Amino acid sequence: MPTFKLNGQEIPFEKGDTIIRAAWRAGVEIPHYCWHPGLSVAANCRMCLVHVKSGRPMAMPILKWDEKKKAYVPDTKPKLVPACQQAAEEGADVDSVGAEVQKAQAAVQELLLLNHPVDCPICDQAGECKLQDYYEEHQHTLKRKRTEPVHKPKGVRFGPTIVYDAERCIMCTRCIRVCDELAQDHVLDMRERGNRNEIVLAPGRELDHDYSLMTEHVCPVGALTSRDFRFKARVWFLKSAEGVCTGCARGCNTHVDHDPRYGKVYRLRPRDNMAVNRFWMCDAGMMTYSEVHEGRLVTPVLGRGADIEKLLPEEAAAEVAAKLEGLTDRGKLAIVLGAGMSSEDNFVLARFAERFGASRLYLAARQAEDMGWTGDDILKHPDPNPNRAGAEKVAGRALGDLDDLIGDVLAGQVSAVLALGHHGGEAAGALAALEKLDVVITLASNDGPLVRAASLQVPVASWAETFGTFVNADGLAQTFERAVPSPEGIEPAWRTLVAVGRELGFDLGYERTGDVRKDMNATKPAAEQPQATA
Amino acid sequence: MAIGVKVIEKKKRTALEQMYVPEIAKGLIVTSKRFFKNTFGPEEKKEIATVCYPEEKREYPARFRGIHRLTQRADGSPRCVACLCCSTACPAQCIHIEAAEYGEDDPRHGYERYPAVFTIDELRCIYCGYCVEACPCDAIRMDTGLHMPPSTARDHFLYDKDTLLNLPGRDGTFLTANPRHEPGDPTHPGIDREKGH
Repeated sequence: MPTFKLNGQEIPFEKGDTIIRAAWRAGVEIPHYCWHPGLSVAANCRMCLVHVKSGRPMAMPILKWDEKKKAYVPDTKPKLVPACQQAAEEGADVDSVGAEVQKAQAAVQELLLLNHPVDCPICDQAGECKLQDYYEEHQHTLKRKRTEPVHKPKGVRFGPTIVYDAERCIMCTRCIRVCDELAQDHVLDMRERGNRNEIVLAPGRELDHDYSLMTEHVCPVGALTSRDFRFKARVWFLKSAEGVCTGCARGCNTHVDHDPRYGKVYRLRPRDNMAVNRFWMCDAGMMTYSEVHEGRLVTPVLGRGADIEKLLPEEAAAEVAAKLEGLTDRGKLAIVLGAGMSSEDNFVLARFAERFGASRLYLAARQAEDMGWTGDDILKHPDPNPNRAGAEKVAGRALGDLDDLIGDVLAGQVSAVLALGHHGGEAAGALAALEKLDVVITLASNDGPLVRAASLQVPVASWAETFGTFVNADGLAQTFERAVPSPEGIEPAWRTLVAVGRELGFDLGYERTGDVRKDMNATKPAAEQPQATA
Repeated sequence: MAIGVKVIEKKKRTALEQMYVPEIAKGLIVTSKRFFKNTFGPEEKKEIATVCYPEEKREYPARFRGIHRLTQRADGSPRCVACLCCSTACPAQCIHIEAAEYGEDDPRHGYERYPAVFTIDELRCIYCGYCVEACPCDAIRMDTGLHMPPSTARDHFLYDKDTLLNLPGRDGTFLTANPRHEPGDPTHPGIDREKGH
């Protein structure tokens, strides 16, 4: 692979790479605002200016102050080039830290902050703002301008998800390019020039495409803020866990940003994975974090309708065991795997079914048409279930869905149900037959039609509260981490099942997630085993 | 290494001291003189170091850090913009803030936000003054000159937004010493797209 020198370090590059892309791939950061690895090159912020020492020397004529003559005298300085646009060349000698470059960076930084309102106290970007970071790294001088900065519209509603602040905007056009290149919808554009520059909506339009939150994600400053996350938390309080999106079968990699002091998840951010989602996520996926706290089940509930009894979480396993023990015909117990639950949970449920002597396996999954979900050619997969492939892999075969289960219930072949997850049965009245059965047990983290049909609801840990694996539509198994602790006394579904097994007199032998994964992977070729995502 | 020993002579008591009674009498004379002067003497000659707390209170020094207060704008709204700098700086983590946004029709919309909830646990507070240092808006101050009145209930020490806003400074005002042009004020120099540049 050809290489060039960046500040004395050899950087390998591929044909067609720019200097900044090759450096980014090698893990060396050249300061930049407008360049983004997933977008086209705009070269308008001028922050990434570097000095290419090799090759044809280019000098710019300047006037330099001469202290002796007390006058400006003609001089030259090397012409700097934007690293985001300059193609890398074999053997080139590039300098991104020299005195000339530093001077240019400080000047660019000063220009960008010239009319900046410096309202960091009320800005959501504070703490993860490039203007703040680069001010500390590359400028660190006081403002020289003494006049009032140019004021521009603030708090402009761009659409259902985004608010725009023109004063903070540095006109890097990343948001415009995200709309054009990712969402293929030219809804944003720029008007005026110079310090009157601002981002505007296309006439008669709102920023309402499916990737609108990506404009906020790429915005290096606080110009675009998410209406959902706005003013909710300060980013320096948030910790991040590696997650996998549960919105559809694509399996986009996420950062689950949570506040450890309150055990609360505040937002998701896309995590770069070139094999799956590259740098992006859709709006629906970004908002899936809300189910960690909304519609959350925290108490086991016995009974239906008005005749219910609330149990303590510790009593749940014994109650499930008592219900299962009372079954006259174990062959008539339907085991329903969950396409929204981790492979670990599904695997332990399948092992549990084997030991218990139940062989009727079904799969509860969300139906795209029932929930108004449509896929697209960008990221959204037509299947809105994060782990259908994982559940089917655990069962070793394609499984019947909830419609098949209802059919078998009506035919009298199923008299009891043990179901995992809250997904499935979204169509109105789809699960009416289940409500007639005496024993319908659900292990789920959230409320849902399937859970409402149950005679015994057992709350379990949600995806943000446990370690697990999702297998996406392409068969790629991806692990995710626990972000926040479960509510008091609530365990992951697989652990609850192990406890139920003990009550029933058999030990599945799993103590830790690692035990489950070891057993789960033992029967699989290496390619299908879960891999920690990059 | 040998330990050096220094012998200190104990001062011997004199015969007069050994007799006990004269020394006691001398002491009692000092005490009685002060007693009669402070009890029956003229007011200006009294040399009394104690005060009858809590009926009498001593003046606290000018920079005494007392109970917090939140300063107000001229229209009575809080100056606080809920930036959470104070709760970030707080080593005791006793400040809880929830931010909220001014409505679309408010002149401050987009410029400012405000605290919907602002609670200080004055029991947990260590009165270090870091919150005042951290505040970029001069919204929180500790110049009330008050200390926490005692109570037997813990929730009496949770000071909410309204309580904090209604505590005056030592000068008796609720305003800040550092006023500035606010968005929406006729004097605010802001120009926007509608007004032209």
